[in-house]
Parts: sequence; C-alpha cells; structure tokens
Amino acid sequence: MDIDFEQLAAMVELLKSAEFTEFRYQKGDVCIVVRRGELPAAAAPAPTAAAMPAPAPVVVVESAPRAASTAAAATAAQAATALPEGCETVTAPLLGTFYARPKPGEPAFVKIGDRVDADAVLCIVEVMKLMNSVHAGVSGVIAAVHAQDGQLVEFGQPLFSIVPDAR
Amino acid sequence: MAKHRVFVANRGEIALRIIEACDRLGVETVLGVSAADAQSLPARRAGRTLALGGPRAADSYLNVDAVVHAAVESGCTALHPGYGFLSERAEVARLCAENGLAFVGPKPEHLEALGDKLSARRLAESVGVPVSPGGPTRSADEARELARRIGYPVLVKAAFGGGGRGMKRVDDEAALAAAWELASSEAAASFGDGTVFVERFVEAAKHVEVQVLGDAHGRRIHLFERECSLQYRYQKIVEEAPCPALPERTRGLLHDYALRIADALGYASLGTVEFLVDVGRHDVCFLEVNPRVQVEHPVTEAVTGIDLVREQLLVAFGEPLGVCQEQVRVDGHAIEARLTAQDPAHGMRPAPGRLTRWRPPPVGGVRWDTHMFEGYLFPPYYDALMAKVVAHGPDRASALQRLRVALTGLEVEGPMTTRSLLLELLDTPQIVDDTVTTRWLEDRFARHLRAGSPS
Repeated sequence: MDIDFEQLAAMVELLKSAEFTEFRYQKGDVCIVVRRGELPAAAAPAPTAAAMPAPAPVVVVESAPRAASTAAAATAAQAATALPEGCETVTAPLLGTFYARPKPGEPAFVKIGDRVDADAVLCIVEVMKLMNSVHAGVSGVIAAVHAQDGQLVEFGQPLFSIVPDAR
Repeated sequence: MAKHRVFVANRGEIALRIIEACDRLGVETVLGVSAADAQSLPARRAGRTLALGGPRAADSYLNVDAVVHAAVESGCTALHPGYGFLSERAEVARLCAENGLAFVGPKPEHLEALGDKLSARRLAESVGVPVSPGGPTRSADEARELARRIGYPVLVKAAFGGGGRGMKRVDDEAALAAAWELASSEAAASFGDGTVFVERFVEAAKHVEVQVLGDAHGRRIHLFERECSLQYRYQKIVEEAPCPALPERTRGLLHDYALRIADALGYASLGTVEFLVDVGRHDVCFLEVNPRVQVEHPVTEAVTGIDLVREQLLVAFGEPLGVCQEQVRVDGHAIEARLTAQDPAHGMRPAPGRLTRWRPPPVGGVRWDTHMFEGYLFPPYYDALMAKVVAHGPDRASALQRLRVALTGLEVEGPMTTRSLLLELLDTPQIVDDTVTTRWLEDRFARHLRAGSPS
C-alpha cells in the first residue's frame, strides 16, 4: 500500500477545524480512519468526544477491511497460544461483553496477584442486558487477565490465568 | 447505498452463499459460529468470525441473545438469518429492529401472520386464492356433511396444534365417525380443544412454489415457479425450474395467486408461496408461505439470471427493486440435487465423519453450492446437507444430463453419501418424464424395504 503523506497531512489539517467524531477514507486497499476522543470501547458511558475540548485527532491507518478483520480474528485466536504455563485458564462460558468490575467506576473484581477461592466471581459477561457472573472454578492466584473491560469476548475465549494452589 | 456490515446468523453452504453475495456488494461480513464450526469454510471466508457458543444449535445458532449481542457489538447494521434456525422467528426480527439492525427478511408481523397455518389460510381465502377443501368441524355429523361435499378420501386432524398428531386418512363414510371421535378426543386431551379439521386427502399432488420478491417501496414481482415434488419425509431432494408439468393457464394462475398473497400483506422481502397441484383433478390449492431464502433458490437464479440473495440484501437495506416484472425471463431449465451425508442403504441414516476426498468435477453449466473441502470433519450436530448440485441447460433433458455427469464425476470419500440414490433417481423413468408426485419416493422406499433388501 502506498500513502501520499502530503495528502494525508492536508487532510488532517482540514479535519482540525471540522466537527466530527470519526472520519473514514478509503481508496484502493488503503483505509484511513481518524477519530476524535478515545478509541471506541464498548465500555461504560465514556464522555462524548464532541463535548470535550477538541483533542488531537487519533489517526489509525488500516489496510483493507478484509485484512483488518482477519488480523482481529487472528488476535483472538493467538491469545490462546500465549497463555502462561502451569496455569488454569478460565474461559468465557458464553459470548458477550466482558466487564472486569461490578459497576462503572468501582474497583475490578480481581487484579493480578490476588488470591481467589474457587467460588470467587472474577468478572461479568453481559449478553443482551443479562449479567452472567464468571467464577474462578479453582482456588489460586490470578496470574493474568486476558480481556479488557468492555470488550466483546467469544465463547471459549481465555479470560484469566490462575496459578492453582498446591494440593 | 449506505455502508453496511452484515451479521451472518447461519452455517454451512448458505452462510457461504450469503458471504459471497456480500463480498460482491462490497459489504463486510461477521459470521457467528458454534464451537464445532470454528474451522468451517464460511468461518475462513467471513470478514470476522465470532464463536457464539457450544456445538449444540441451542447453545449457538438458536441462542437469540448471543446472536443479536454479537451482531450489535461487532458493529453490524444488518442480520441475515439464512434458512432454518432463526429465519422465521418473529421475535428475532423484532429484537433486530429494537437494536438498530436491519433483519434480512420480512417484517415481524408478516412472520407472525404466515407462521400460523390457520391465519395464513384465512389470508389466502380473503384474496380469493383456493385452499385445500376443508374446514373445522365440531361434531361427527358436521364432519360427515363436509366430507360429502369434499369427496373421499379425506384427512382428519386436530384443528389447533401441530406435529401431525392424530392425523388420519379416512377412505369412506363408514369409517368417518370413529376416526372423527378419536381425533377429537386426542385433540381435546393434547390441545384443550376438540375441534377437528377435515380436509381433502390429495393422493397425487405436485409441489409447486412461486418465488416472490418485494421491496419497501411497494413494488413486488414474481420470479416464476419451481417444482419440488421429489421428497422423502417432507425433505426435498430434487428441485427444478420451471415446473415442466404445468399447463400455461395454471402456471399463470399460480403466479397471480402468489402475488395476490404478497400484495395483501404488503410483503417486502424474498419469499416463496407453496401450492399443491392435484394432477388427477387439475386443481390448485395454497399450502403455505416460506418467508425466507430457500435451499432451492439457485434453480431460479439459474433460469432468471437474478442473484436472489443480493436482491434480498438490497431490499432489506431499503433499496428499490432493480428489476421489473417485464424484465424477468426464463432461460432454459435448471435442476438441483441435494447431496447429503446419509446412507440410502440404511434408511437414510446420517453419516457424519471426516471427508478424506472431495473433488467436484468441472462440468459446464453446473454450479456447486457447498461448504465441503478435503479434510473437513462433517459434524454430527446439524443437518446432513453436503452440496447442492445445480445444472442449467437449454432444456430439461440437457440439464438432467449435466447433473448426471457432475454427480458421476464427483470424487468423494469418507462419509456415506446419497450420490448412488441421486444417480438412480435421475435415471428413473418417472423422473425423466416428470410424473412423480410428493409421496412417490416414500412409496418407493417402503416397497424397497418390504422387498427385504439390505436394511
């Protein structure tokens, strides 16, 4: 893919004074997405970008949509291969939105290094406004958290790694 | 056209077919899969794939909340349900609307009106489309009067509820009273209502269906008809377009009836109006409406040259129909055979397993709609469809011949398939002459089994 940086600079210059939240430009296999404010996360109510003093636009250069989404799919799959050894993996029991905390603004259920019991709640997976608690299933120490607050997680996707207590 | 991203809420060959139609429209796709389908061909072809749940359909493809949640959270603007699974569920169409997704199908109220067989029948009658002679009866005397008007044999069954419960064929008046009492008491016990439906039992009928397409701007067209008489236990096996056995007058009448029903509803999607054509008496009656894309849609695509899934997507996006009635023409003849992973020598027992060889032959005029590939593990959780082999030719004989050549040339190893049965059927005189009716194949199987051949 080839990008004309002069053109890109001109575009960004024009956008500085324009009112927008997301700008998408596609030509051939080049796709440019410019967003104002935070990257959209399905997370709890973030202040709307328009209401904030115009921050510098975030420029993300993506390749063609097909390639981008393939990459996204691959990332989800690779998460499984990067799991720490000797750990129990807690996976998503169903597809939904991952919430690390009981309510927005409250501390997370668990963080790395926390000791948990088998019946401890680690997170919530929300499906169509239905909150499903996910339990540790094993007692031990949280070694890793694989999902981000507000992220869409798939069925079977790893969410936590736990170093189980020695028996 | 606004930018769209389509959630594909199905699996197998139809998921692949929808993805392909989206690709050609430049529309992105997200596919929801079960854990058993994560390595499927549609999963590889989709823009993005999301695991909805476990292998069982109830945990994945039929899990309404997971499907709609996945569609919304992956930024989709529309949801295509394919056929089967969620395609005829009014509450899914409604949930999509509430969540800002265009449901690629009819409006929820149309799904409701068509899903209830009695209300669909009333709708047909209200616009002068004949339904099978018959009606609800509250006493054996009433049933006797009705049966005399209809003529024997008749079918008696519970008026409410379904599943073929208490359905019985009655050949003469002497047997009617007893059959009626039995059906009525069963109906009362099972459904809390002793009303019995008495209708004509059609012995030799052809299944003929008319393809209709409507847009949100009040335009509706028909795309001629298909014949699907070759069935086994209500599963279609071979389908074709156009129907060779129809006199021109009847053909025109069916198209007109189908459009009357679509017009009465203000139908704005792809749909099929099914009829039974009694070859003995030369009359026609309405059966039901299938408010979705059908398995056998490619035969209509072959003869009309119109991409039905593309049109279905476009009208769901709110686009006006790109084709008018006068532009729809039939070119030649097309026949589809459904190849399934079933064992014809053992009562069509399903035969899932690893596909160790899969080489469809290149044959001119033949289209393969299939999600098979070498090494594919055919899962045991879903239906047995492997491929739809669709042959198109200038006339019926040439289409049949192309289909034979294609099926003969297929190299397939692993699961048992119905290829031998299909090839046998394509050489059967009744099929070559198109004189089969809906019960023919079952009768043939029954004879086959009684004759004591390997079972």
